[in-house]
Amino acid sequence: MTSVPPYSPQRRLALSAALLPALLSITGVRAAEPLPPALRIAAVSRTGPSGKTLFAGSSALVAEQGWLAAELGKLGVKLEWVPVTTNSVAVQVNEAFANRSIDFAQYGDLPSIIANASGLRTQLVVPGGSMNNTYLVVPANSNARSIKDLKGKKIALHRGRPWEFPFARLLAANGMTQKDVRILNLNPQAGASAVASGSADAFFTLSDAFLLEDKKVGKIIWSSKQAPQDWKMRAELWGDSAFLEKHPQLAQLVATAYVKAHQSVVGANGRENYIRHEVAAGQSRALVEREWEGDATNWNARWAPLFTPELRAHYAAGAAYAQQARLIGRPLDTSRLYAPQFVEQALAQLKLQNLWASR
Amino acid sequence: MNPGVLSAGSRGLGLAEQARMVVQPGRPEAATPTPVRAARPQARRGLVARWLDWRFSSWTSPLLVLAMWIAVTQLALAPEQILVPPWQVLVSGWELVQSGELGEHVSVSLVRLVSGFGFGSVAGIAFGLLVGLSPRLDDYTAPTFQVLRQIPSVALIPLFILIFGIGETFKVAIVAKASFFVVALAVHEAVKSLPARYLEVAAVLRFSRLQVIRRVVLPAIVPDTLTGVRIALGRSWMVLVGAELLAAENGLGQMMEMGRQMFRLDVVMVGVVLTGLVGLALDRGFRLLEAYLMRWQRR
Repeated sequence: MTSVPPYSPQRRLALSAALLPALLSITGVRAAEPLPPALRIAAVSRTGPSGKTLFAGSSALVAEQGWLAAELGKLGVKLEWVPVTTNSVAVQVNEAFANRSIDFAQYGDLPSIIANASGLRTQLVVPGGSMNNTYLVVPANSNARSIKDLKGKKIALHRGRPWEFPFARLLAANGMTQKDVRILNLNPQAGASAVASGSADAFFTLSDAFLLEDKKVGKIIWSSKQAPQDWKMRAELWGDSAFLEKHPQLAQLVATAYVKAHQSVVGANGRENYIRHEVAAGQSRALVEREWEGDATNWNARWAPLFTPELRAHYAAGAAYAQQARLIGRPLDTSRLYAPQFVEQALAQLKLQNLWASR
Repeated sequence: MNPGVLSAGSRGLGLAEQARMVVQPGRPEAATPTPVRAARPQARRGLVARWLDWRFSSWTSPLLVLAMWIAVTQLALAPEQILVPPWQVLVSGWELVQSGELGEHVSVSLVRLVSGFGFGSVAGIAFGLLVGLSPRLDDYTAPTFQVLRQIPSVALIPLFILIFGIGETFKVAIVAKASFFVVALAVHEAVKSLPARYLEVAAVLRFSRLQVIRRVVLPAIVPDTLTGVRIALGRSWMVLVGAELLAAENGLGQMMEMGRQMFRLDVVMVGVVLTGLVGLALDRGFRLLEAYLMRWQRR
């Protein structure tokens, strides 16, 4: 080393050899944006028994598989999971998208519609994977047997959350509108205590309904299990449109990772494995099983990452509802909400085109 | 309770100026000795001093805040969905006024405020008088009173929901709680610090107990009580909006919460601005009332 003079031919050679790839990469990638230091995905989280933050749903599987973190790592991009709490996922995610502190989020249909109607630009990247049913709970001593008995009564519902649309469909199917009931806009925790203390006559929510039943303070009088498929709320993977345009290669990795997770869930032992994750994230096993018990939908179909006509119809109807209920001020063209190219590519790469053949 | 407060408040911002004139009448023009600073020759006075003497100088900070708000939105330092430009807030506010929504929310909130505050302050005055006049009762109640006084009203909201449900009772109760302690404390202190010679004079005049209260105590504690009540009014308003954020069907706080859920931060900003203005109007209105009730002192 010491014997080599400053401008020796060897040194020049070594230097240019070192610089050449760098130069090439600069000119070659000029068109594309430099990669961000981190890719951030928001997902619903719970604090697990050990005090650790644990994620729910397919995000937990993606995190466990580790494939996405490894692939991003090769490009020098760090994978960051951003926890959001069940109390107000919709608000937290939309605000995070607005101030650009996340790139992807796994969350609900109605909040996404609200976000896009107010000028944010997000797109659906990987559909499917929402296992939630919705429930109508009344106090344990209530005589109400169906939504019809609740005419003029107080119903706790957190507005703008994905279960509002199923609620609206339930009302409509019974010839009622939101004007026929008094809606109390309460978050799930407050709604639960309202129905438990009897100051609300009913509560429309997710599987936390079972907890009220177990404590003998409430009873479920309706669930979306037997309802038509498009009554079910959807929660799926959304991406910031600007990010999808700027970094399609990173978006592709994210989409592929989620499709892989969906694939593993519908495969052998997938269901069991999924339950194990939910239990680890603090849900009781009985609760998860009760949520699925008697559900009319096919397991495989619930995980289909496909942009089906039904999916598009669901969002179009959701946007129409949101406008009619004055959740959004102007009509929203839902055809711009989809970015199916990433899933198509992932299915081709993973040779899964036939796993969820379009029904 | 007090229509004078509301209508005076709704007259707008000029109140600040007006209130000052009423509270300290004749200060600008009367022959009060001018401060030394002002007596200096005009040219020697600094720009700041002259600025501060200008009658509109109290608008400085609101205008600066507005300018900063405009600058931040113009330079797009914050996403437009999160920090809405002021004119957008005005437009949204006007839309809410026209649809009648805003009027409904504000009036519902004010009704809650007035009823809760009415209960709370009347009870507070009564309790403050009792413990002030009876040292023994004071000894019995002081520990409980002092502990309860320290609990922030906002922290009691979940407990109150459990006890009173989520209806109107809970909101009125939390507002009453917020005003009760402030008023009771002010009255108590006022009675305790009553100069002993007042009571001595009353004794010389052989006043009955009722006469002492009616002729000596009550008139003497008016200034401190009014200050306490005014502070309580401001507190109550803040607590009410906070309670409405958490659990209500309507009201200004609920309008903001709903705006946030609908990702309409312009509606939230309308609520924020309006909450501040209503609070200011209540305070100024109460000062006017205070000046009116205290006019005997100036004679």
